[in-house]
Amino acid sequence: MTRGDSGSGGELLIEIGCEEMPAGWLPRLTRDLARHLQQRLTEARVAASAPSACSTARRLVVTAEGVAAGQEDLEELVTGPPVSAGYKPDGTPTKAAAGFARKHGVEVAALVEVDTPKGRYLAHQRHEAGLPTIEVLPAVLAATLRDLTFPKQMQWDAQLDDGKGELPFGRPIRWLVFLLDGRIVPFTIGRTSAAEGADVAVVEASNVTFGHRFLGPGAGEPVTVHSIADHRAALAERYVVLDRAARLEKIRSALVARAEECGGAVDLASPTLAALVEEVPDLVEFPMVVAGGFDEAFLELPGEVLARTMIHHQHFFPVAARQNGLAPSFLAVTNTAPENAERVSRNAERVLAARLRDARFFWEADRKVPLELRFERLATVLFHKRLGSYREKSDRMEELAGWIARDVLGRDDARADARSAARLAKADLATEMVGEFAELQGVMGGIYAREQQLPEPVWQAIYHHYLPVSPEPTAAPAKADLGAGAVTWAAVALADKLDTIVGLFCAGERPTGSRDPFGLRRQAHGVFRILIDLPELTGVTARTSCSELLDAAARPFEAWRTDAQLSEAVVAFMLERLQYVLEQRGHDIRNIRAVTGAAGAAVRPLEARWKLEVLPEFTESSDFKQLAVAFKRVRNIACELSDADHEAAEAAGPDLGTVLTEDAERELVKEIEARQPVIDEVMASSQDFRLGFAEAAKFGPAVDRFFTDVFVMVDDPVVRTARLRLMKRLERLILQLGDISEIVADPEG
Amino acid sequence: MTLQDLIATLSSYWASRGCLIHQPLDLEIGAGTMHPETFLRVLGPSPWRVAYVQPSRRPADGRFGENPNRLFKHHQFQVILKPAPDRSQQLYLESLEACGIDCGAHDVRFEEDNWESPTLGAWGIGWQVMLDGQEITQFTYFQQAGGQVLSPISTEITYGLERIAMQLQRVDNVFDLEWAPGVKYGAVRQQEEVEQSKYVFGQVDQPPGEFATFHRELFDRYHAFATTLLESRLVLPALDYCLKCSHVFNVLDASSGVGVTERTAYILRVRQLAVAIARAYSGVSTEDDADD
Repeated sequence: MTRGDSGSGGELLIEIGCEEMPAGWLPRLTRDLARHLQQRLTEARVAASAPSACSTARRLVVTAEGVAAGQEDLEELVTGPPVSAGYKPDGTPTKAAAGFARKHGVEVAALVEVDTPKGRYLAHQRHEAGLPTIEVLPAVLAATLRDLTFPKQMQWDAQLDDGKGELPFGRPIRWLVFLLDGRIVPFTIGRTSAAEGADVAVVEASNVTFGHRFLGPGAGEPVTVHSIADHRAALAERYVVLDRAARLEKIRSALVARAEECGGAVDLASPTLAALVEEVPDLVEFPMVVAGGFDEAFLELPGEVLARTMIHHQHFFPVAARQNGLAPSFLAVTNTAPENAERVSRNAERVLAARLRDARFFWEADRKVPLELRFERLATVLFHKRLGSYREKSDRMEELAGWIARDVLGRDDARADARSAARLAKADLATEMVGEFAELQGVMGGIYAREQQLPEPVWQAIYHHYLPVSPEPTAAPAKADLGAGAVTWAAVALADKLDTIVGLFCAGERPTGSRDPFGLRRQAHGVFRILIDLPELTGVTARTSCSELLDAAARPFEAWRTDAQLSEAVVAFMLERLQYVLEQRGHDIRNIRAVTGAAGAAVRPLEARWKLEVLPEFTESSDFKQLAVAFKRVRNIACELSDADHEAAEAAGPDLGTVLTEDAERELVKEIEARQPVIDEVMASSQDFRLGFAEAAKFGPAVDRFFTDVFVMVDDPVVRTARLRLMKRLERLILQLGDISEIVADPEG
Repeated sequence: MTLQDLIATLSSYWASRGCLIHQPLDLEIGAGTMHPETFLRVLGPSPWRVAYVQPSRRPADGRFGENPNRLFKHHQFQVILKPAPDRSQQLYLESLEACGIDCGAHDVRFEEDNWESPTLGAWGIGWQVMLDGQEITQFTYFQQAGGQVLSPISTEITYGLERIAMQLQRVDNVFDLEWAPGVKYGAVRQQEEVEQSKYVFGQVDQPPGEFATFHRELFDRYHAFATTLLESRLVLPALDYCLKCSHVFNVLDASSGVGVTERTAYILRVRQLAVAIARAYSGVSTEDDADD
């Protein structure tokens, strides 16, 4: 509904003027504000269009149109006592009925009778006339303010008279515009008695807002507004671009243009800049991009260090040179007017130069000490109080990485490099540069290793060993990034992550619910990204199992051997993470359970991926569905024979052909004998799981017939055991491919 | 504007806004927050407004007088406004104008930076104030001190005097600052930076290991005596000795005499002292209740 459609308009405008809210909070906060206001309006029975919100660091604004002038009336049937308990035998009302009527302020005679599933009850038809909207809006705003949550909230000596006392918020609120059709909605944020005084006042709702803090002739002066359009126009005149998308667009186009003027370019989609470009619109109300330069001599610093110095400390954008590397330029998104550009730019240049001199000091100091000596100092850097120092972690990683390179990846030639890289991987934690820029950990170690002329596989492995940090197939690094170090990197990155996961579980630090302070889930995702994409990442095809890796990583930890529950917990955690990663890649959860569930710790993530890639070709075919249903029965019956008994019987018992006489079971024996070699070959080579599943699907009719014609649990123990052995053989054969019975399950199950 | 003019201007500005102009704490400390005029005054209900310069020693930042931006000792101008006025930010911005900084001609921003001091059991919500990309001030609404939740909230404004002066004088090297007309910062302080850096990094003529041993012993003795003072209900002397512990620990830490686990333990010991002192000062300990 627009203003023209209705006499009353129904235009609601709320602006919460606050001191600078942290940029990173604003996108979520803005969405929450609109959502909570909508909920609270609905609860208050006030009809309105969906509210829309926008924000800058200094204001949270939410508007709604088509707001009804009044609340909807409330019609409610309130149930009282059963009719049977409402009247005495003589027909006069009981205390129960009289009390119920009194409570609602009516005569017993005015009560109605209603039929409910529990019987006939007395009831009162309650009618409450709606109030004018302006009278209910204060409670709506109070509840909405309480609904907003912040990553870290503060007290600011404020309170509401909603019975809930103090009003913590993200930052102090300094003004409040609260208008319904231009009329001020009465609302007050009170202050606690502790803060009373001349310089602390209540915040009263008004029709007064403020523009940009510093820009324009009347900067800081109040301005009166009467409508949403008025408010927008007043802010636009006063150097406030309220719409975030407009600020972002202005910033993007200015960055690109200024970069070209500097003779370079900015790649705003690159991982290093993407986060920054999303942050800057929420730091400024009036974005203006200035360009600056720095001494070309600083270009001798590694590009990673230059970029970090600009991005991390200054929120500056580095400019890529036309050829390669960086240009001696930067771009800064500021909150000021174009006429200040020159002055602001010169000052920013001076600040950046000081930072770069600092970085150069670290760069020069760090290179005087070989990483091997830094490694010794790791003895004083604690990894975890129960797991010792980073020196001890490095020792464990060295063993594990060497073993992974040779025994898992099958690359004995990479073993020595993997060991050296793992040993030095954490050494940069003792460098000045990483002390200053923690997020350059790994990267700096790699660069210093390269400077020390260590072999490429070693420095590449150190450089990238914290990666990947997310499970997507596109997550860094790509094989091309890893150069000659791909295999070494995989060994070191796996060793680091596995040691952390197993070690911290042993130290009692397992993640629970939303609590994962050590980021173990992310570490596990990294492990699986490497294992699942191993061929693409390294050119090596190794089908290692989870249990193999976990057992190796756990060797140094005493607790692993003494506490059986511990390994169960780690296995359960890892399987859950594997399933998560596979689900993220778009696989059906039933198929994921089929290929990962039955194997338990023995699951081979790379095989699981290959199976999942072909499984959907089969799951819709009728043969396969028939097998899936039958396989459930196979599994249920097969568990009647323990693994140990089965193995003993297979080794020493009679040949199945001599005991089994029914056609259906003899046919199934033959089917297994015919298909086993094909499936075994598929498993041995893991070449063509398509062939494996196709072969398995052919079992359907024979299994079906078996269950129709044969009763397994006969009294004769010899026959029974033979039939169970048959079931067990079939179960084991198919389980190599997966627990096909999962595929008929409900996806939600 | 010289460094001493800057101090005079800020002092006169805040005096005219009702602040008592106090003097630095005459001990080695790392920040103006540790001064009892901040650490203790923000506790409890009584209003207070105070401003003072605090020379602040950060042993780990010592650079032998060679680095143009880092100092073993820098100067903070500290302001406490309790309760926090609604116009806290404007008051601060007007103080910049008083110093000759035209905010409308620069890019002045409040960027999220919450302050925390584990040794003092204190934290607050606030910003670093950026002037054309340079951090010049830490602006904080105190939430807790000495482990106590504060009510009312205080505004703490901590100006980095050297940083602001460098901006005003447009110099790139702190030692080139004009402290007084014709007198450079380097002439006043460079020798101190060189010698204090040598000291805190353990370049002292004594057998290896003795430096750390001596400071560990100092810490233990200061710590024990602080406890004794506290038991004698001498809160302010106890805070002095707590702060001596903190500084000795910082020296140990800078000279790499402290392992990581031990580091945590030292911080915890200072913090426990600070918390006990804060409780004694505001009279909330159960012991006090029993005595009353």
